Amino acid sequence: MPDTGFGILSLLLAAPLVVAILIGLAPGKSHGAIRAIGIGGSGLIFLMSVIGLQGFDGSTHRFQFVESLPLIPQLGITYKLGMDGISYWLVLLTTLLTFLSLIFSVYVKERVRAYFALMLVLETAMLGVFLALDGILFYCFFEASLIPMALLIAVWGGSNRRKAAIKFFVYTFAASIFLLAGLIVMAIQLQQATGVLSFDILALQAAAAEGILWAAHPALQMTIFIAFAVAFAVKCPMFPVHTWLPDAHTEAPTAGSIILAGVLLKMGTYGFLRMGIPLFPEASLEAAPVINLLAVIGIIYGALVAARQVDVKKLVAYSSVAHMGFVMLGIFSFDSNGMIGGAYQQLNHGISTGGLFLLIGLLYERIHTRLFKDMGGLKAQMPVYAMLFLIMMLSSVGVPGLNGFVGEFLALMGSFQSALDGVVDMPIALPIIAATGVIFAAVYLLIMFQKVFYGPITNPMLSRLKDLKRWEVGLTMCFVALAFLGGILPNIFLKPMEASVDAVRRMAIEAPGPNKIKWNEPAPTAMANTGEVN
Amino acid sequence: MILPIATIVQQVPLGAFLGLGLTLFIMGGVGVLIRRNPVVVFMCIELMLNSVNLILLSFARYLPSGGAGESPMNSAVSGQMMVIFVMAIAAAEVAVGLGIIMAIFRSRNEVDIDDMSLLKS
Amino acid sequence: MEAANYQAIYWVILLPLLGALFQTLVGKAMVQRSPGLGKLVSGGVAVGTVLAGFGIGLFHHLRLINDPGSVKAATITYFDWINLAQLHIPVELRFDALSSTMVLVITGIGGLIHIYATRYMAEDKDFTRFFAYLNLFVAMMLILVLGNNLALLFVGWEGVGVCSYLLIGFWHKDLANSRAANKAFITNRIGDVGLALGMFWLVALIGGNREVLGLTDARWLSYDVLIPAASQLLSQFPHETFWISLLLFVGAMGKSAQFPLYVWLPDAMAGPTPVSALIHAATMVTSGVVLLNRVSEIIALSPAAMSIIAGVGAITALLGAIMAWGQTDIKKVLAYSTVSQLGYMFIACGVGVFYAGMFHVVTHAFFKALLFLGSGSVIYAMAHNQDMRNYGGLGKKLKITYVIMGIGYLALAGLPFAFSGFWSKEAILGPAVNDTATLPLVGGLTVGAVAGWVGFLVAFMTAFYMTRMMCLTFGGKTERWREIEPAHHDDHGHDHGHAHGHAHDDDHGHEMDPAFFMTEEEAHAAAGHDDHHHHDLDKTHEPKEVPWLMWAPLIPMAIASFGLIGVWMYGDVWKAPHPHPFEGFLHSAEVVTAKNGKVEGGSALAPRNLEDHGDDHGKEEKKEKGVDTNTLVLVSALTFAGGVGLGLALYGRRLPASEGFDLSKWNPIQKAAGKQLYLDSALSGGSSKGVMGLASAFKVFDKGVIDGLLVEGPPKVVRAVGGLLTTLQSGFVRGYAALMQIGIIALVAYFAYVVSQRGGQ
Repeated sequence: MPDTGFGILSLLLAAPLVVAILIGLAPGKSHGAIRAIGIGGSGLIFLMSVIGLQGFDGSTHRFQFVESLPLIPQLGITYKLGMDGISYWLVLLTTLLTFLSLIFSVYVKERVRAYFALMLVLETAMLGVFLALDGILFYCFFEASLIPMALLIAVWGGSNRRKAAIKFFVYTFAASIFLLAGLIVMAIQLQQATGVLSFDILALQAAAAEGILWAAHPALQMTIFIAFAVAFAVKCPMFPVHTWLPDAHTEAPTAGSIILAGVLLKMGTYGFLRMGIPLFPEASLEAAPVINLLAVIGIIYGALVAARQVDVKKLVAYSSVAHMGFVMLGIFSFDSNGMIGGAYQQLNHGISTGGLFLLIGLLYERIHTRLFKDMGGLKAQMPVYAMLFLIMMLSSVGVPGLNGFVGEFLALMGSFQSALDGVVDMPIALPIIAATGVIFAAVYLLIMFQKVFYGPITNPMLSRLKDLKRWEVGLTMCFVALAFLGGILPNIFLKPMEASVDAVRRMAIEAPGPNKIKWNEPAPTAMANTGEVN
Repeated sequence: MILPIATIVQQVPLGAFLGLGLTLFIMGGVGVLIRRNPVVVFMCIELMLNSVNLILLSFARYLPSGGAGESPMNSAVSGQMMVIFVMAIAAAEVAVGLGIIMAIFRSRNEVDIDDMSLLKS
Repeated sequence: MEAANYQAIYWVILLPLLGALFQTLVGKAMVQRSPGLGKLVSGGVAVGTVLAGFGIGLFHHLRLINDPGSVKAATITYFDWINLAQLHIPVELRFDALSSTMVLVITGIGGLIHIYATRYMAEDKDFTRFFAYLNLFVAMMLILVLGNNLALLFVGWEGVGVCSYLLIGFWHKDLANSRAANKAFITNRIGDVGLALGMFWLVALIGGNREVLGLTDARWLSYDVLIPAASQLLSQFPHETFWISLLLFVGAMGKSAQFPLYVWLPDAMAGPTPVSALIHAATMVTSGVVLLNRVSEIIALSPAAMSIIAGVGAITALLGAIMAWGQTDIKKVLAYSTVSQLGYMFIACGVGVFYAGMFHVVTHAFFKALLFLGSGSVIYAMAHNQDMRNYGGLGKKLKITYVIMGIGYLALAGLPFAFSGFWSKEAILGPAVNDTATLPLVGGLTVGAVAGWVGFLVAFMTAFYMTRMMCLTFGGKTERWREIEPAHHDDHGHDHGHAHGHAHDDDHGHEMDPAFFMTEEEAHAAAGHDDHHHHDLDKTHEPKEVPWLMWAPLIPMAIASFGLIGVWMYGDVWKAPHPHPFEGFLHSAEVVTAKNGKVEGGSALAPRNLEDHGDDHGKEEKKEKGVDTNTLVLVSALTFAGGVGLGLALYGRRLPASEGFDLSKWNPIQKAAGKQLYLDSALSGGSSKGVMGLASAFKVFDKGVIDGLLVEGPPKVVRAVGGLLTTLQSGFVRGYAALMQIGIIALVAYFAYVVSQRGGQ
């Protein structure tokens, strides 16, 4: 495995920035050129990610395409990128959703240049989170993604955008401070255990697998885990730190909502998979009952609060709280099926909720309202729109044949099994209550569908509404096609992540020792790099 | 006989330099407080900076000249270096400060610092 | 048994699926271009795909019957759906007696109903959308019955739920339809959760014991692995068996409208009548019985679960029959009748005669679909008015419909020997009253036996309320719609949701982007298409016999409702009641599977009870002690005669004044029956109020406590402190400078002091 120099991952990381610079250089006030560069560029980046990552081997949990370059050797900070089965699909999801949401963004009429540039900068930051293999690098990208998103909300958002943007920024920023503090403490622990100061995630994982990372201060493990968990839980978001999400979603421009739901929330769950569990094997297992409890509360609570919303975007935002609860429940089941289900549900939520936000955005561009009371009866007026909306809604409900089902099914099954077998010390009632969450999911989503599409048309404006345009149908069909693909042939998605997810599971449930999972063989690059410097 | 200036200076006691420095510094400080024209305030700040320069140099004069094996931090060079730093920063400060004053003047047509109270709560 | 011989069975599923796709992508455009030809073609395609499926199904069915192999079941694997280390769910179909029977029922009755619907829905604007949904439903139902694992069953299970949701809400302009659709879907989902949990438990159980069972493949939900493994394991775990069986039964309860989850089915009549016939009578609602047949070996291990199933079945049967009596809407009568008949099927499962439940599914599918379609014809002829109080004397006007519905009526009421309903009912109630396997209840009778006797009571009531329905509709001399004045707007039972919610445009200064909005003229032109004439029922109305496309499809069903089919299936009931030929046919496959697996002995699959696994001698002895067949037939005949007689006496000539439009004259019991004994408002109204109330509370909590107090509280404190500090900001620059200088002097002084204290160090 080549461990130095630049490869496809760096290219992928740099490409959006290059496109953003090109947008900055685009001539004059021509929105057409900016849009063309932005959409074309992001499309190329998506193609690049698909083609460039074709060599990915899903049968191993080892990181691939690894690149490593010491940045600040004295502090053990490395520019290290790599990809495994967990990040593979998230990277593709990021490039795809950025591309699709930029296509939608032709509806943005103000400050087009800045908007497109920010979206692409955001893409780099998101990709960085999923690709970084160094704690500090991860943290930097984790924080960097906040700024463009907060700006997108603050400048192009709805009527209450300032407050939402500030809330979003301060909330998530404050939480991730804990992450930084935790990282530093952890690196010091590594230095005490091995004599090498390093933020390299692989080195940390290897130390955790051998059981030496926390050997000196066992009590510290839980403390630092909590610090990490706070940062990631806010991002997810989990109950009770979820309230930034409805505001941010409601006020964000449509493309921002798609990205926020599709990718940004996944950083939290991804963080748990990448660091929260493998670096804190014992603590994460010990904390699992509490996290599962919060996840279950989130599922029920999010669903019920969603059922009472009067704003369609807010409803979908609260549904995200419930859906991410399933993801967390799956991940923290520490069951083979459940964890894969949770990891898979990340993608599904991105597609189904992203699709719903896109559809809501298309309607918003027409009628400039998000309130149910101004809608109703659209099924007759916009049959194609209604059908597409129906499919995305059913995907969100978790109807088999569509993608949402597989993830939810596996996550719930895993959680149930885990409770039954005592892998996680939680009452069996927890997964059972979580399962009733799918009833409530049907409740609020059907209420939404009814309020938008059924009944007579009461808003006179709607009775003259035309159906979607061709290109809009095509755009939505991307989501629909993915929803069907993920539901009918889930194996395409599940297989590449199986080995990596299972490695994470084994990190937590197997006793530490030399025979546990090997992370950085055959070339223990991180150790070598930082070792020489010190 | 005409003594070289260096010799004359050498005969002046350290206290005199320090006293002059202190006097200049206080003059500058009072000037900053009582004058309302920002240009004059600037000049007063320069005065304060230069008084400090004077003190640095006079101390440097009484330090050993830093031979081999001695740390440059403890030698005369350190004080002189410090002065050059201060002068450079002062120059930069004046450039920026005068720029700001010009910008304010352009927008308000007057530069009384007592009127510059937009940051008041 | 060559699986390759049955490889092509997937076409049965694929054809309707392609049909649905065709309707959506091609049919709609065709109908828009030329309505006449387009509807002919898309209707033809819709019918064709289902009937072709019937042909394929029949072909394979015959091949199955004539298969020389001893194992009459084929498992055909196509591709992997989910293939993980701990769970492998391939897309695999199982073609055996159970699934092939259901395939024939679904495609056969489904095809006939499709034909009927091409005429019934001919004037509808959303003709192609209707058939898209209907075809999709057929495909999903086939996945449900053909899938070889519980996960695929679940796919179909939820799939038919979605189609049912879409079809109940088909006429979308009426919000009531949408509410009924939501209710159906959500109630079904409650059951689905039970089924899913049962599945999870089975996976956990089998997956956890894979070494014990010696399983290498993770196909833990496939019947051929699941059934033997689970029945081997569960015989040691009565507690788990009970809960798993119960959870699976909860799934069946939701879909098959068992008490208390029946509440959605009457409301589901908001859908078009062909939908009621296909989904809410013949196929989807019976899928619970199919499920219980599939997992019968597991359920049969738990007498407690069996008792609950029989008990719930009996309660449902009784409630359905009582409520049917109080209905005035012709479709509602049939809906409650369906609920009641589904109760019978669960009594059968509860007392262990799963095959009899299936038998009743088949016979019931024919005569109930027939009755629904007949009622659809009546409704069609009566200008979409569904209230029986407006009917009367239609027998003379709608002769063909009358005769055909009469056959269905006799089959449902259970005229002895001549009609299929009698045979299947006997097959259930006979074993039920002699049941000893379920838990004892009162007077030495078991739950199953009590359920059986309740079943006879229900049979009496069925004959009674069906006679009422027939008399009110076809009988008598008064043509009651003659009393409706033309101006009178009857708000009872608008089947068609043609109430136009079309509001006229008045732009209140809205900027309407021409890219998104039609001009006013275009909007009118677009709205005009579905603006066809629709007149209400009044005294000028002259009912005419329905077009042939709407009665011809009923004839095969009528033929199938005759007792001949029962005789063929039931053999001669008097001489050899055991084994039932249908049982032999249905379970030929499972018996062998069971032998391949762990359970030894003949008919372990549908054990009458736990003690007498295939033990014929034991059974004979019990028969002697129990109620013998002749008595049962006599009781049946008496209930039929009593019910019909009472019905004729009360309703034969006219509509009694106590059941007219004036509800205050109704007797309280019947009034309560008409209102579902207030169970619906208590159950669904109460739970939805409770959930929504909780949701409101949570919303307030979210806004007030979590967001207001915890999230926005700290910033408020910070702001308040900052507000205090801002008073220091006077804006007087020289003041700041002075303050700074004083501060510096103070600092210098402090350090000087510290240094001097240390002695100049």
